[in-house]
Amino acid sequence: MSVRWCTMSAVADETGEAVGRVLGTADATPLSFWTAVAPGSYLQLDDVVVTRRDLPGREPVTIAGVVTQVRARHEGAQFDSDVFAIADGTLPALVQEAAEITTTRVDPELYVPPSPGAVVRRATGDLRAAALHFDRMEKRVPMGTGRDGLPAFLNADFLDGSRGAHVSISGISGVATKTSFATFLLYSVFRSGVLGGEAINAKALIFNVKGEDLLFLDHPNARLDDDTTRRYAELGLPATPFPDVRVYAPPRAKDSSGAPDVSSRLTGIDSFYWTLAEFCEARLLPYVFADADDERQQYTMVVHAVTAHLARHAQPADGGISVDGIRLGSYPDLVDFVVARLTDEETRGTWAGSAVNTGTVNAFARRLIASKKDLARLIRGDLAERRPHAINTAESAQVTVVDLHNLPDRAQRFVVGVTLKTEFERKEKAGTAKPLLFVVLDELNKYAPREGSSPIKEVLLDIAERGRSLGVILIGAQQTASEVERRIVTNSAIRVVGRLDPAEASRPEYGFLPPAQRQRVLLAKPGTMFVSQPDIPVPLCVEFPFPAWATRPSEAGQAPSATLRSIVQSADPFAVVGGRSEDEIPF
Amino acid sequence: MTRLFVDTWAASYGAAFGGGEGPSSPSTAQVETDAELPPGEWRPLEAPRGVSSPGVVLLVDGVQRIDATLSTEEEDGGSYAGLAASYAAGVVRCDLGVGAAELAGAQVARGFFTASPSVGDVVAGQIRYALHKVEGAGELSKLPASVQGPLTALEIELSGAARTGGDLLVVDGPLRGRRQLPRTIGYIKTQDKQYLPPALTLVVTALRPGQRSPIFKQGTAWGCWSWYLRLPGGNGAPWSGMVRVECSPDLPVEQAVELANLSLVTLPRFASTPYKDPRAPQNLIPIAGLERRLRGLLGDARLLHRALTLATTRLV
Repeated sequence: MSVRWCTMSAVADETGEAVGRVLGTADATPLSFWTAVAPGSYLQLDDVVVTRRDLPGREPVTIAGVVTQVRARHEGAQFDSDVFAIADGTLPALVQEAAEITTTRVDPELYVPPSPGAVVRRATGDLRAAALHFDRMEKRVPMGTGRDGLPAFLNADFLDGSRGAHVSISGISGVATKTSFATFLLYSVFRSGVLGGEAINAKALIFNVKGEDLLFLDHPNARLDDDTTRRYAELGLPATPFPDVRVYAPPRAKDSSGAPDVSSRLTGIDSFYWTLAEFCEARLLPYVFADADDERQQYTMVVHAVTAHLARHAQPADGGISVDGIRLGSYPDLVDFVVARLTDEETRGTWAGSAVNTGTVNAFARRLIASKKDLARLIRGDLAERRPHAINTAESAQVTVVDLHNLPDRAQRFVVGVTLKTEFERKEKAGTAKPLLFVVLDELNKYAPREGSSPIKEVLLDIAERGRSLGVILIGAQQTASEVERRIVTNSAIRVVGRLDPAEASRPEYGFLPPAQRQRVLLAKPGTMFVSQPDIPVPLCVEFPFPAWATRPSEAGQAPSATLRSIVQSADPFAVVGGRSEDEIPF
Repeated sequence: MTRLFVDTWAASYGAAFGGGEGPSSPSTAQVETDAELPPGEWRPLEAPRGVSSPGVVLLVDGVQRIDATLSTEEEDGGSYAGLAASYAAGVVRCDLGVGAAELAGAQVARGFFTASPSVGDVVAGQIRYALHKVEGAGELSKLPASVQGPLTALEIELSGAARTGGDLLVVDGPLRGRRQLPRTIGYIKTQDKQYLPPALTLVVTALRPGQRSPIFKQGTAWGCWSWYLRLPGGNGAPWSGMVRVECSPDLPVEQAVELANLSLVTLPRFASTPYKDPRAPQNLIPIAGLERRLRGLLGDARLLHRALTLATTRLV
């Protein structure tokens, strides 16, 4: 690779518009230097430039970098008020612009400073790609355009787990467009061809936490114009919606039919829930207590004792379960039953263990009762057992969207925790990294807060630390990276920042941003992100195109025909009812 | 009671006027004072209505610096003093209409001034100090004055450049050899000589800012039309903010008066303020800016001194 770059260093001599010279009044270092901008030229932030340093007895060193700061000042002026004399035409002065260059690449790797006076040229074409290390990326994912309007790429090796994995996206909600960028990145990964043959099998699991924004990923965007289509084409992407999407929503509350609870999307949507039998067998009770606050309490041992007891004694019984000979047909029934058994002096010992005092049991009971309202619609004993209701990305479409926005906090945690756990366990069992599973989760600070521990945080930490080898890639978004578990943030190979709150931007979690970029993130407009990847020492400022898929009901164009049938409709009705052998026709 | 005034010029520059009470040494030059007004009718004059400053004003100035003092060792055992000096001249073009002041031209030269008959140019690194042979014994005290000649020559060379129709050229210092240039005035900041008789001097000290004296003719070898003008920004002392302006003696009286009126509407806007310039208000803003730029062009004095030291050591 180095050979190719060296031939380019020869090119660097003649091509590229000369924009200035390396300054001698400020220190020029191998990693950062200042350039005086020649009259009639300009440099803007994020421009890519290249300069050359001749060395005695060696091949010349090519130093490439990006502009991280630009300043202009009057030379020859001493006082602030001199500007009036200069503008008045009485004081001769020179306007001099200078640009700070942060080095991105030195080739060959001889870290010498550029010599003051050396000509600095604008890098274009192959030279720009080399300066930003794009030429070294064997698989590159387009992630938007730089400020110069040319595509900027992400090294797929750091996304698919071969050299790194996980993406951490931070920014203020609303203006930072975190979710849009996450979905665009997914789209780019799936459609740019970097995954090759695996693209067909790679899956994505997206949790929709706010509004019904992500429920229309498979609908074309009615506001898509030619300009946006052209931008997609420049990035080598088709401007189409996601082709293969399955949307899950929780069942409507107090609705015995289990119809999905959404208002805007009416077709191609399925409800998800867990049967009581699954709840007991898969030991899901701890996820009801998934608040970090819960873990600190004494009653966790009661939680685990009850979970174990239910797993041991609950028998499936016609949709519901039966425990100790009593049939329980709904989650509130189960809760009442468990509370009754715990308050009964005789049975408490067998359910909660002998060393537990009444105060602890009561604390557990209080919270369990409180969860009835939140979880009754998700844990069901009244719906057909064989009706498809589980979220399973392996059998689902390429993109699985799980809608959480209508759910109360405790239910959201339950769904996220249980879904991630089942998916991760499934991948663990499969034992191979391929096909990849991308998990998009917003509000990571809620599920994996820096302080405390919870079952969900354990799953997320597991994904962050072992997911790379198991093919589970976490694309986490949060308003404040400083409030997210540090091990999750540090395990993310790719860090993305949109508009930040000023107080947040000064925190050490954003140490990868150079000082000028820390100021710029305070002004970043929607659609502008700063992307840091291990290959490039400076985060790149990229603008990603407007989504080609609908992001709200009003934008949604014609629904794709596939959405007209939901999985419930496509399932064999006889399989749902379940054929018992005695019902078969006797011949 | 005698009033006291603190001179606006910083003390290190000396006073703009000998001791603050004006030009001390009377000039021996012949003075004709009746060109514009008879001496009996002398009074402060203001610019007539309708006179406006030209669109383009050019200002010429030069700076000089002694980089090193040298001495030679002649073959006969004698020794001559020598000066290695850098000097530069430049032109500022103030386009008052557009509001842009720019350096229209600048030139730097370096010279080795000595009376030694045997030495040649001094080369220090990439710098060459061209030999300027000084007539006479060449005492060290006389040498600095000899830099002025080549500097004036450089200024004259640049004065012709960048001229356009309708502009005004302001030369910092006496006109000397530039009398033939059109629409040119000399601008003298310090008043050493008293040219006018005491009665007329009273008219000069009575000038208010923005007023001038009638023109008078000095009859020396470098004779010229001359007038006094008070700039705004003085402290009220009799000679504060006072400058003398001169123009070519070959001009008819009417043209000289025209230039005098033009200077009256042009120069006050260039006057500097005391906190920014130690020689305010006489040191004009463009001149100050030009001098700063020119000093920058002269190069670093310590670097040149070291280069000279190194070069002369190698010669041995």
